[in-house]
Amino acid sequence: MKRYDVIVVGAGPAGLSAAIEAAKRGLKVVVFDENAKPGGQLFKQIHKFFGSKEHKAKIRGFNIGEQLLKEANDIGVEVLLNAIVMGLFLDKEVTVKIGEEIVHYKGDAVIVATGASENMVTFNGWTLPGVMGAGAAQTMMNLHNVKPGHKVLMLGSGNVGLVVSYQLMQAGCQVVALVDAAPKIGGYGVHAAKVARCGVPFYLSHTIIKAEGKEFVTGVTIAEVDRQWQIIRGTEKHLDVDTICLAVGLSPMSQLLKMAGCEMQENPEKGGLVPICDKFGQTSIKGIFVAGDVSGIEEASSAMIEGRISGVAAAYELGFIEGKEVEEQTEELEKALLSLRQGMFSPGNRGKDLAKTEEDYDLSQNLLKSGYLTDEEVLKYPGVKKMKGIHPVIECSQNIPCNPCQDACPKKCIKIGEKITALPVVDESVSCTGCGMCVAACSGQAIFLINDDLDESYASITLPYEFLPLPQRGMKGIALDRSGKEVCSAEVIEIKSSSVFDHTNLLTIKVPKDMGMTARFFKQVQEVG
Amino acid sequence: MSKINNRSKNIGEFIPQSDDDLIICRCEEISKGEIRRAVHEGMFTMTEMRRYLRTGMGLCQGQTCGKLVKNIIAREQGISPLELEAAGSRAPMRPIEMKILGNEKRIGE
Amino acid sequence: MGNSVDVVIIGSGIIGNATAYYLAKKGCSVLVLEKSHSIGDGGSSRNGGGVRQSGRDKRELPLAMYGIKNLWPTLSEELDMDVEYYQEGNLRLGKTDAHLKVLENLTINATQCGLDVKMITGEEARQICPYLTDEVMGASWCPTDGHANPMLATLAYYRKARQMGVTFITGEDVVEIKKIKGKARQVITTNNSYEGETIILAAGYESRKIAATMGIDIPMNKALLEVLVTEAQPPMFYQMLGTAAADFYGHQSKHGSFVFGGSSGYEAFNKDDGTPTTSSITASCICRGIMKYFPILADAKIVRTWAGWMDVCADQVPVISFVEEVPGLILACAFSGHGFGIAPTVGKLLSEMVSDGRPSLDLSAFHYGRFKAKI
Repeated sequence: MKRYDVIVVGAGPAGLSAAIEAAKRGLKVVVFDENAKPGGQLFKQIHKFFGSKEHKAKIRGFNIGEQLLKEANDIGVEVLLNAIVMGLFLDKEVTVKIGEEIVHYKGDAVIVATGASENMVTFNGWTLPGVMGAGAAQTMMNLHNVKPGHKVLMLGSGNVGLVVSYQLMQAGCQVVALVDAAPKIGGYGVHAAKVARCGVPFYLSHTIIKAEGKEFVTGVTIAEVDRQWQIIRGTEKHLDVDTICLAVGLSPMSQLLKMAGCEMQENPEKGGLVPICDKFGQTSIKGIFVAGDVSGIEEASSAMIEGRISGVAAAYELGFIEGKEVEEQTEELEKALLSLRQGMFSPGNRGKDLAKTEEDYDLSQNLLKSGYLTDEEVLKYPGVKKMKGIHPVIECSQNIPCNPCQDACPKKCIKIGEKITALPVVDESVSCTGCGMCVAACSGQAIFLINDDLDESYASITLPYEFLPLPQRGMKGIALDRSGKEVCSAEVIEIKSSSVFDHTNLLTIKVPKDMGMTARFFKQVQEVG
Repeated sequence: MSKINNRSKNIGEFIPQSDDDLIICRCEEISKGEIRRAVHEGMFTMTEMRRYLRTGMGLCQGQTCGKLVKNIIAREQGISPLELEAAGSRAPMRPIEMKILGNEKRIGE
Repeated sequence: MGNSVDVVIIGSGIIGNATAYYLAKKGCSVLVLEKSHSIGDGGSSRNGGGVRQSGRDKRELPLAMYGIKNLWPTLSEELDMDVEYYQEGNLRLGKTDAHLKVLENLTINATQCGLDVKMITGEEARQICPYLTDEVMGASWCPTDGHANPMLATLAYYRKARQMGVTFITGEDVVEIKKIKGKARQVITTNNSYEGETIILAAGYESRKIAATMGIDIPMNKALLEVLVTEAQPPMFYQMLGTAAADFYGHQSKHGSFVFGGSSGYEAFNKDDGTPTTSSITASCICRGIMKYFPILADAKIVRTWAGWMDVCADQVPVISFVEEVPGLILACAFSGHGFGIAPTVGKLLSEMVSDGRPSLDLSAFHYGRFKAKI
């Protein structure tokens, strides 16, 4: 039977990263993936990643996927697609459905990186066509170019709910509401802000009572809940929607490991049933490793690092590297993993009601409840300074591991420092050239170039814009504030696209002079007649 | 090591609820009420529930309904879902035609 | 607990549960102890569901015939739960002359015991079941055989017995049976101890090590068999199926899915990880066996496989017996892979052994002391 040094199950970020590290050290590696395209969740991710350079920050998910795939191919990793691993048996044997055959393989090591599946939540009408997972909607849009629906309610305000809501709008859907039973938004404030400024209302402490419709969803009723999750009578609201997306968490797809006899543990913090493993990802069965979401729900950045760690560990297990090397090489990776697990959303802070940032700034409660910073709150952050002429305004108010803005400015006017969770600080002494690199570099789309002194009557705002069709110079429209409310008229001065901006277009609008710190989004006016 | 579980323990009476006809296991079309009632008939574990009602025996093998069923069984007994053992996992990980499963290949043989 | 009951049953498989039910009917106080987290987690929930008389050892035939005549037809009604019992006959198929010879021998043996089984031609077999391949040359046909749902039957007895006041405790691993003043009375688990006037040991293969604590050995081995199940198919046929070559056995269930059991030939040698572990070759082998007789099922999708241990007795039939040298102990194990069909009968007989001191059918062929050296 065909024996590989390492068999990797799943060609997502964790699997490919593991395969690359193992192959780099001379191991013979094969990766099996059940899908037609490799890259796992990466190929659906059209937004720019956070983190730092080593975490591939600023790069769009699908580009990271392409990079990984190329690296894997270049180094001689065999990646078999449409290859479904049917079982993980004793002696580290797998059976794989390939075409019309079931093929047996054995690995000296097996790295399982099968990812996770979407959770469901039940409510009256949840089985109607039109109710789907947010991830499913994302697959439809970003892989198959199919619009999931027209008017969408998103349930769940974690990063998946927020990011997919934005992508639904990019695909031309209207996100009618974003609903969560929790009292505060679970995902990053900047992701919420992107959505709020487009006019999407947030309904925290709300739940779905009923999805209406006979053959498919035609509407939905939501209502407020109290602290005991009980419905508050009289708060029912009806919304016209044809699609309901559920972004209510993920569960590891750990069935292969359970089947193989690994010691498992039901761990709510990790999202469900995971194998017990050591820091290298080795399970209770020698030679069987795990990496990525299947070992605990996190994100693609951590999946890639975990993959790399298990690839190195497998190389050590099989005698391709020495003990000293595995310690050194994994130490770097552990550090990288640790730096991702810092900040406001770190595992240690889960469930906590934080009031201040690490620097002792007030955390915006409005951002947590409604998805946007108020006009008063925004002024307090170190990225927001009053300066003459054009200058960056960085509306980044939560400690998350992210620093692409720091390297973006050619004049070095943005500072974060060693600790990448620190809030970015704008150095007023540096004069801004208005190049817009920072606006394009910010994965959270939280940086704006403001010029309150454009002329006597107007201020200009350069904002990141990722919707099609692109507005044209001279176009008139309405400016929306951070909450999505229409606040004033606006005219497009310039629209700049450049390959170095990687599809984040820079839209510069002029607004009434005193609106510089208020207007944050541009809506084209519909032509009448 | 399984926990000791006396099946005569008092878990109260079955009280009908307004959402008892909510479908939970979509593959086999099993409702919340059926699951709740089954607990009162002695089905205290995921494994017993699966064998009794077929929850988790359909095409998706419990991937969609697993957590939902677990929560219902736990709530009906007044315990945490963490106290319930997970259901088993087996090959094939995805449904596979008999003719393909029977068409074995070993490379090099 | 701590109080004494009339009967402590070790093992909540279908034998244990059926016995508990029949004892409860007679007004006995019963406690059932189960090692696993779930009721009936051993062979009872893992087998192919055959309720048959044909193909059995002569010694078992009276038990099987009694059950099919008196117990199975009304079981669903009696237990107030559908156990999906079908009595549509048993086709044991043959494709070669050698196969037919095997079937003929089995048939002759069985007719001698009064069973209504006969040899039929391939054509006749296809009239009963049109989905058979043309290659089937002949079959043995027993019209009163059938099948049921083993998981439901096991749980149905449990459910009813529990309703009638039987105490079931799972997660209790029995490590020892102890005599008190010459009589087996105490059942010691890892955490507790229980007491009963009579102790019935019905714990499948595990019975061996428990019986050893009483100085009794049951010569049996474990063999790991596998079963596979398809997704629901349109209703095709409801005969119980088997083959002379023993490639597979099974049936279409009420749900519409086909349940087929079989082995790779290595069942006595298969290794496991302490739990019933599926092997990488068995399910494929079973599939090929099935397709040789039912090519129409080639496109049916398999959704699950599982495995279970048979407790195979040295002479292929169970031990169902008082243990005279250990008063208070009754053994009911080593069913060798064909306990399901006779379980209602055995349960009833065991209840009679407790309440009346003797079973209403002759169980001497299953006596624990029958194992003698070959010379």
